[in-house]
Amino acid sequence: MRCMIRKHKNLLNYSFDCLRRYRMRTAVILITFLVATTMISAVLFTKDGLEREAEVSVQSAPDLTLQYLKGGRVEPINTSYISLISGIPGVEKVLKRTWGYAGIGKYTFVVVGLDPDGLNYSRGVITSLEDGRFLTPEDEGTGNIVIGKLLAYMLNVKVGDDIILLSESVETNKFHVVGLFSDASSIYTADMFLMSLGDANKFFSMPEGQVTDLCVYVSPSENPATVASRMNSIPNLRVLDQDLLLRGYKAAYGARGGIFTTLWTILLVAVALIAFSQAIVVGHESQFEVGLLKTFGFSTLDIIEVRLAESLVIGFFATSLGMLLGFSYAAFLNAPGLVDILLGWAYLPREFRLPVYVSLQSVFSIYAVTVIPLLITTVVPAWLNAIIDPELAMRRAAA
Amino acid sequence: MLPVLAIILTAALVSVSVYSESQWSMRKYDRALREVVALPSIAIGTNYEGTRNPLIEVFVRSLYDVPGGYDYIVSSSFIDTPTWLRDFRETIPGFNFTAVKG
Repeated sequence: MRCMIRKHKNLLNYSFDCLRRYRMRTAVILITFLVATTMISAVLFTKDGLEREAEVSVQSAPDLTLQYLKGGRVEPINTSYISLISGIPGVEKVLKRTWGYAGIGKYTFVVVGLDPDGLNYSRGVITSLEDGRFLTPEDEGTGNIVIGKLLAYMLNVKVGDDIILLSESVETNKFHVVGLFSDASSIYTADMFLMSLGDANKFFSMPEGQVTDLCVYVSPSENPATVASRMNSIPNLRVLDQDLLLRGYKAAYGARGGIFTTLWTILLVAVALIAFSQAIVVGHESQFEVGLLKTFGFSTLDIIEVRLAESLVIGFFATSLGMLLGFSYAAFLNAPGLVDILLGWAYLPREFRLPVYVSLQSVFSIYAVTVIPLLITTVVPAWLNAIIDPELAMRRAAA
Repeated sequence: MLPVLAIILTAALVSVSVYSESQWSMRKYDRALREVVALPSIAIGTNYEGTRNPLIEVFVRSLYDVPGGYDYIVSSSFIDTPTWLRDFRETIPGFNFTAVKG
């Protein structure tokens, strides 16, 4: 038993010695894996964080969102639908909502108008305000707004200031800032102007009695999908439930969003480089070494064990370091360049941090797609060399 | 040196991951705010430009199309050719307007 342990210890020492001796090969594999894992991990950790945030938002969304379709396109919905929808069994409450985009310079921001009835509907207390207060039903039509941190920074305004926004109908609208969202809610509120429904309708010049969409809240005892099915016969109505929205956003942020392609492209490049480096090493020098080792009494399994240990050390070192670098790159630097190019985030304000989620699942997935190919590309050539007659191997290498 | 560093770095990474998992599981969201505002998206735009819109502009930017065809050039650059994808024809609601409502 002691002899066996000593043998394996010696094999390990020999493999670690090989890492030093074949510096070029070690360096090629390390750099390849570092680059690949840094990029993959920065993208995956960011994607996981965004997905988690989007998931929470969708879960907090109304049970059903109703839109008006005309010619296959979404148009403002008439508030007369409210009485029709409210009469459907299972519907607890229907709220109006007007929202849209407003441009300041080259950036687009979100303007949301809240139904005064909905301001009392919250199931909790809104705490994510840095300064000022949240809207109340009394703010209807007063021009009072609550704004995100990013907007406050860009417009250089604080609570108590007045701002004038130009609408798309080229009208000036004066607003009074009564609240400022905190950093804690930046991922949700950074680009948001929150105002009363009346103010938003005026800002967007909505026709009388029309809003952007309707938010339907279903009784807790009812299944939203069942309630949605009762709306099938209502003309021009498109019903979106949370599940559909969640699937939609997951598709937007998830695997289809360039990440899958990125992952595979990087993986293929990494594997190609590894194969290249191995092809060099498995040349003459390696063949001679294997022949020599077998002459000294190494078995085929011993040689494979040596290469396996080498690969494991390089693989785990490079992949772990790469993931830590990727995490730092995304969490502390907001992944400049990489996220813009690979994921297509059109707009990342420097004021807020990307939500980075280092899930164990992603960590093990990255280990799986990097370390396992490395093991295969090193062990297989080692095995092929080891099964050749040692004398023949050395002669071939010397030739 | 390298083997020792490999072990240390792997342990550090697993620690970061466990810490991140626990941070996310204990994270307190401004759920009340999100319920009141009720927009289902977050404040990050994508190539689609319409992330905060419930769905339709996210995928096809139909408001920017020309008569008779949906503009999928942007989404093609990001994902694939939408019409080839089963998701875009069936799974993603709202894309195929010939589908049964609800």
